[in-house]
Amino acid sequence: MSTHQHKITRSAMLLMALVASGASQAQAEHGWEFGAVLDAGMSSRPLAVGTRDQGLQLGHSDLSVSGPLGKNIQAQLTATFATEGGKLEKSLEEAWLETKALPYGLQVRGGRFASQIGYLNQQHPHADDFVERPLLYRAFLGGHWNDDGLRLNWTAPTNMYLMLGMEGFRGKRLVGDVVNTPGNTGVTTWVAKLGDDLSRSQSWQLGLSHIRNEREALVEEHVPGEAHAHAHGAQFTGGKTWMMDATWKWAPQGNNRDQQVRLTFETARVYAHNTDAAGDMHRAHALALAWRLNPNWELGARTDWLRVNAPDDESRLREHALMLAWKPSHMQTLRLQYTTQRGATGDAFLDASQRSVQLQYVLAFGAHGAHAF
Amino acid sequence: MHTLFKWRCRAAGLRMVFVTLMGMWMAGPAAAFTVFACEPEWAALTRVMLPDARVHVATHSAQDPHHIEARPALIAQLRQADLAVCTGASLEAGWLPMLLQRSGNARVQDVLFASDHVNMIDPQPGAIGTPWAGDVHAEGNPHVHLDPRNLLLVANALAARLQLQIPAEKVAIEQRRAAFEARWKSQLARWQQRAVPLRGRQVAAQHTTFGYLWDWLGIQQTADLEPKPGMAPTPGHLQRLLSGLQAKPPMAVVVASYQDPRPGKWLTGQLGSGVPLLVVPATVSEDADAEGLLRWMDSLLGSLLGVTRP
Repeated sequence: MSTHQHKITRSAMLLMALVASGASQAQAEHGWEFGAVLDAGMSSRPLAVGTRDQGLQLGHSDLSVSGPLGKNIQAQLTATFATEGGKLEKSLEEAWLETKALPYGLQVRGGRFASQIGYLNQQHPHADDFVERPLLYRAFLGGHWNDDGLRLNWTAPTNMYLMLGMEGFRGKRLVGDVVNTPGNTGVTTWVAKLGDDLSRSQSWQLGLSHIRNEREALVEEHVPGEAHAHAHGAQFTGGKTWMMDATWKWAPQGNNRDQQVRLTFETARVYAHNTDAAGDMHRAHALALAWRLNPNWELGARTDWLRVNAPDDESRLREHALMLAWKPSHMQTLRLQYTTQRGATGDAFLDASQRSVQLQYVLAFGAHGAHAF
Repeated sequence: MHTLFKWRCRAAGLRMVFVTLMGMWMAGPAAAFTVFACEPEWAALTRVMLPDARVHVATHSAQDPHHIEARPALIAQLRQADLAVCTGASLEAGWLPMLLQRSGNARVQDVLFASDHVNMIDPQPGAIGTPWAGDVHAEGNPHVHLDPRNLLLVANALAARLQLQIPAEKVAIEQRRAAFEARWKSQLARWQQRAVPLRGRQVAAQHTTFGYLWDWLGIQQTADLEPKPGMAPTPGHLQRLLSGLQAKPPMAVVVASYQDPRPGKWLTGQLGSGVPLLVVPATVSEDADAEGLLRWMDSLLGSLLGVTRP
């Protein structure tokens, strides 16, 4: 067993021990809940713009605690553990307070939290249908973008779901090292979400997001073959980003545990900091389909497009993934995925993987029941 | 702080949209008192107490209330509500907290939970949900509405809450509550008399859905089709149940209409013609009122009595 594997085994055991101590208080009074997720994986080959190492790895595992602080405030704290390049990375992923009692459907959240842009960003990666996030997220958002900031949301009192929100972040976890300090005031986002039911069995959601990033990355030097995409910090950034997401779900009679089809399309365009530049700089799309055949089995397919521009080079990458998941209970998932990266052109994706087979096991303890649409 | 200033400048466009939408909302007609009911039985009780209320029902009788998605449509319904009435005891733990958070509605955060107002059966204090234990409800069996005596207790709690929130209707609500209580109590006496032949009988059933009904009627559930609470029946588990049930056949195998009837069909097929399969609704229809509640309880008893012929 290599030292790398030793480290992973050790961290997994540490996590389990912490969970065991936390779980004994899982049903704590006053509505405080503890939860833990173990995400262990294995890849035959790392992917370009990927977040998972070759061989055995610890994915996005976490320990979380959430509950009310008095009548009007909700709080959450989440610490994550994952291996990157053979090292165990610990991170404080969430530490936020949110209001519950503001009038007119207004909500304020402050602290460290995941931005609500796009469809997937707010979801914990271990709840995803695939082993890796789409190329769009890995390339432009560092996989899962959470940061220090403030959020203001308004939910409309309408029959159709409508939410408008804005966030202001320091942006250090999106763009680490920046060019010049004076203009680097942070990152702001604007989000609109719209959704409804079509029938007892069908529902949909649309989202439009805009990111204004004033932190211009110092260098975007890429060394092929190196696990470059750090869990926090995007690999390709720009000044403005537009994102659109559309989701349609079908479950007979609304019994989504028995059978469900989920279809999601996301697209993003990133524009250069220099606003005089014509057109977009980077572009990505992702189309994902997941089908729950019965409570225990799921099938999924996803196809991703990515195109990025450097001053004297345009690089393209396509990725296709097929997955099969077995869920013996809703707290456990064993997933087998086949991923292929094709059509790599340009300098950025010389490390594209022809094919990679991935195995993932996710185990959840305690409070991890409630997931968003 | 520079960021905050810049925000303000950029907010102009969205602020226009915001103001327009707020205007549209304010200009609308004065809305009726709106109630978000997690399950149809609580919607029915709401209609009894407040016939003019606008009622949103999150689930219907063909749905498993344990497993609901926190859909955008449900967030919008909860956003409009003045009160949320749910079961509690972790029945809605997988979706209600998310809806409450996403709704951003201060008025509904203090949910009226039916399970806070009845005597729970099968509490498991200190029980911890592990990935291998199935869905454990430490608080007890959450399907409290299956005992009609509980409906009366919840009706009282609901009336008290509505009176607190709508002082102008205080007297009218009390009158409706008293009328419902009188009617329900006379029905209870009639049902209990009718159900005498069911006392001491045995059934096999899927999940603990009807636990309170068995408790009220003095029926004994000798087998659960689920290997662990909340887990779908497996062939191995059914096979194990079969030998026990063949030795002591139950009067029926009972499943709720939202559950997959195939495991029950297989079991009754193996047990022979003496043991029928009963597929019955675990709750009322979405538009039910007092009448709907009465008819539902009547039909449940009718189905059970229909298979008691010796």
